[in-house]
Amino acid sequence: MGFAPGPETKGYLLMQSKRKEILSLINLELGFTSGKFRNRLLPPLNSCANECELIAVIGRNGIGKSTLLRTIAGLHRMLGGETIVENRNIIEYSRIQLSAKVGYISTEVVKASNMRVYDLVALGRFPYTNWLGITDNTDDEKIMDAIDKAGITGLIGRPISELSDGERQRAMIAMVLAQDTLLMVMDEPTAFLDISSKFELMHLLHELTRNRNKTIIFSTHDLGTAVREADKIWLLTDNGLREGAPEDLMIDGAFNNLFDESKVRFNAHDGTFYVNNEEKGQIYVTGKGEIRFWTEKALIRAGYKISGSQSEISVEAPSEPNNPWKCTTEEFSVEFNTIYEMINWIRDKNFTF
Amino acid sequence: MPGTKQQSYNQGTPGRRFSLIFAGLLFILIVSFILDIFLGSVNIKISEIINTLLSGADGVTRQILFQFRLPKAITALMVGIALSTSGLQMQTLFRNPMAGPYVLGLSSGASLGVAFVIMGFSSNLSPDAIKGIGNWAIAVSSWIGAGLVMLLIMIISSKVKNIMTVLILGIMLSSGISAIVSIMQYFSNETMLKTYIVWTMGSLGNLTSSQLNVLVMSVMAGIFLCFLSVKMLNALIIGDEYSRSIGLNIRLSRIIIISGTSLLAGTVTAFCGPIGFIGVAVPHLARMIFKTSDHKILIPASILTGGIVMLISDIISQMPGSDNVLPVNSVTSLIGIPVVIWVLLRDQKRRDIF
Repeated sequence: MGFAPGPETKGYLLMQSKRKEILSLINLELGFTSGKFRNRLLPPLNSCANECELIAVIGRNGIGKSTLLRTIAGLHRMLGGETIVENRNIIEYSRIQLSAKVGYISTEVVKASNMRVYDLVALGRFPYTNWLGITDNTDDEKIMDAIDKAGITGLIGRPISELSDGERQRAMIAMVLAQDTLLMVMDEPTAFLDISSKFELMHLLHELTRNRNKTIIFSTHDLGTAVREADKIWLLTDNGLREGAPEDLMIDGAFNNLFDESKVRFNAHDGTFYVNNEEKGQIYVTGKGEIRFWTEKALIRAGYKISGSQSEISVEAPSEPNNPWKCTTEEFSVEFNTIYEMINWIRDKNFTF
Repeated sequence: MPGTKQQSYNQGTPGRRFSLIFAGLLFILIVSFILDIFLGSVNIKISEIINTLLSGADGVTRQILFQFRLPKAITALMVGIALSTSGLQMQTLFRNPMAGPYVLGLSSGASLGVAFVIMGFSSNLSPDAIKGIGNWAIAVSSWIGAGLVMLLIMIISSKVKNIMTVLILGIMLSSGISAIVSIMQYFSNETMLKTYIVWTMGSLGNLTSSQLNVLVMSVMAGIFLCFLSVKMLNALIIGDEYSRSIGLNIRLSRIIIISGTSLLAGTVTAFCGPIGFIGVAVPHLARMIFKTSDHKILIPASILTGGIVMLISDIISQMPGSDNVLPVNSVTSLIGIPVVIWVLLRDQKRRDIF
């Protein structure tokens, strides 16, 4: 499954500086029309995507992530502006021409009995086959290559109704790979997946952008994944689209306004979100490494802030496994075998200061 | 590497197995066709039939064979082919395993078209003029009727995703159309009424040779459109949105498929009356036999299976050896309904897929 570095990899660094622009959005207006009534979702959007980039689209529910992705795939009419794919506005392409440029995977689950993985992937060759849809040798090679790349060779003859969520998502990716497009658009590809399938899928997407020249734009609610994996983030807010490397956005504090600040808070240190619990007070924690890290997490969840200096209550995380946690206040000094017991005790006492 | 995997997957799966099943079905079709000609209310010995065929002498036997039984068998074959292929296309287009020309009201739409021609437009004409309207007028009116119902169902199913709701709306639609036809019957004169009632009884045996010509030509045209839409149907299985994203012109494909199904289901209803459950049941039998979702296979499979089922229904309806004849519609219902029930009662997980 590994990709041996070939001669192309050598030129990679050189190419990086002049990577081709695959997609650009120019004053793109998203929304719906019903009769004379125009309902624009967002201010005009401007952005671009280069070759071999993995781009995560982030924003709250209903902001227009899916509409943006469907618009790029040519499945939703633009209200205004332009969507340029490989130097041409998408409305200048016919449906079948566009399908050779942009691949699309939605959250919709394909339901069909008697359809096997191979049949599904073969449908990706739709733009290239004759009127009967008969695949020739070149098509078959592309289909098998796509199946191989998506890592589902073992599932080739399996009915798609019997696939797990992760396997089905891979089969869909194989279909789009067989479609042979430079740009792939995916609406919440990790939505139904368990944690390990989620990581495997992100790994696959990453690899496709690095070794297969694909540009992938996907939407997600998982900010952690987006920050960790994406080359670029398109952040959709009511003010429009902000783009940049995840780190750039983080430093700019762009994520802070993503949610209602009174309820959810963003931690710029580790790129995660916290539910903003009512703060009861500060606790000083001593200890080392992992055990200290998780002890702090638990205390934060219980509603306490971690203070930098000695405070009225302090917790000593054990330095060795199997040693107890020590909690010291002015009145008590108590030992606990687990974090759970300690948190329960602190909650029962309901310290506020 | 990819090449070898491809072969190992293909070996023994589709190719040879499919041709074997097709050969078997074709054989059964030919046998049923011959049996349908041989068996009937009048007992004719096989030796007598062979004699008549060889000698070429004009006689009662020859008349029965060529003027009655052969056209009837051809009609049965056409009806079976037309209804099952239109059912297959409808099931894929609506992504609904319960779709079919009869269930969703296409047949009633066609009868409404015919009723308009017989009782509406010609109500001021003499009965002789009705005969002059011609078979094509009846055929065209039935296509229009079926096509309009098809469009209506298309609009409904784009708004309502639940297949049971679409099904119930289809039944409502049929009932509504029957009500309109009843009102028209109430206001039409005796001769019109009789002409129409005789038409609704429908049967495979009443077609004149010119009607048979119209039927065969229309069914051929419908089958042609059906084959034209093979690739589109295959794409439509994965849903509207995905099929568009892989390059399907969905509007064009809908036009072709709706025209094809209306042509097929409408013509059959126009000349043979409403015949139920063949359209829903046969595509499921074809899928069960071939275990594939590929319409390149499913269309010919439905053609063969539909022909066989309809010929067998016709044989049963003649009750060989007795003077009685059962209405063919009842026979097809009794064959089709168990299949429909089986599809409905399959495990819940697979209920909304087809």
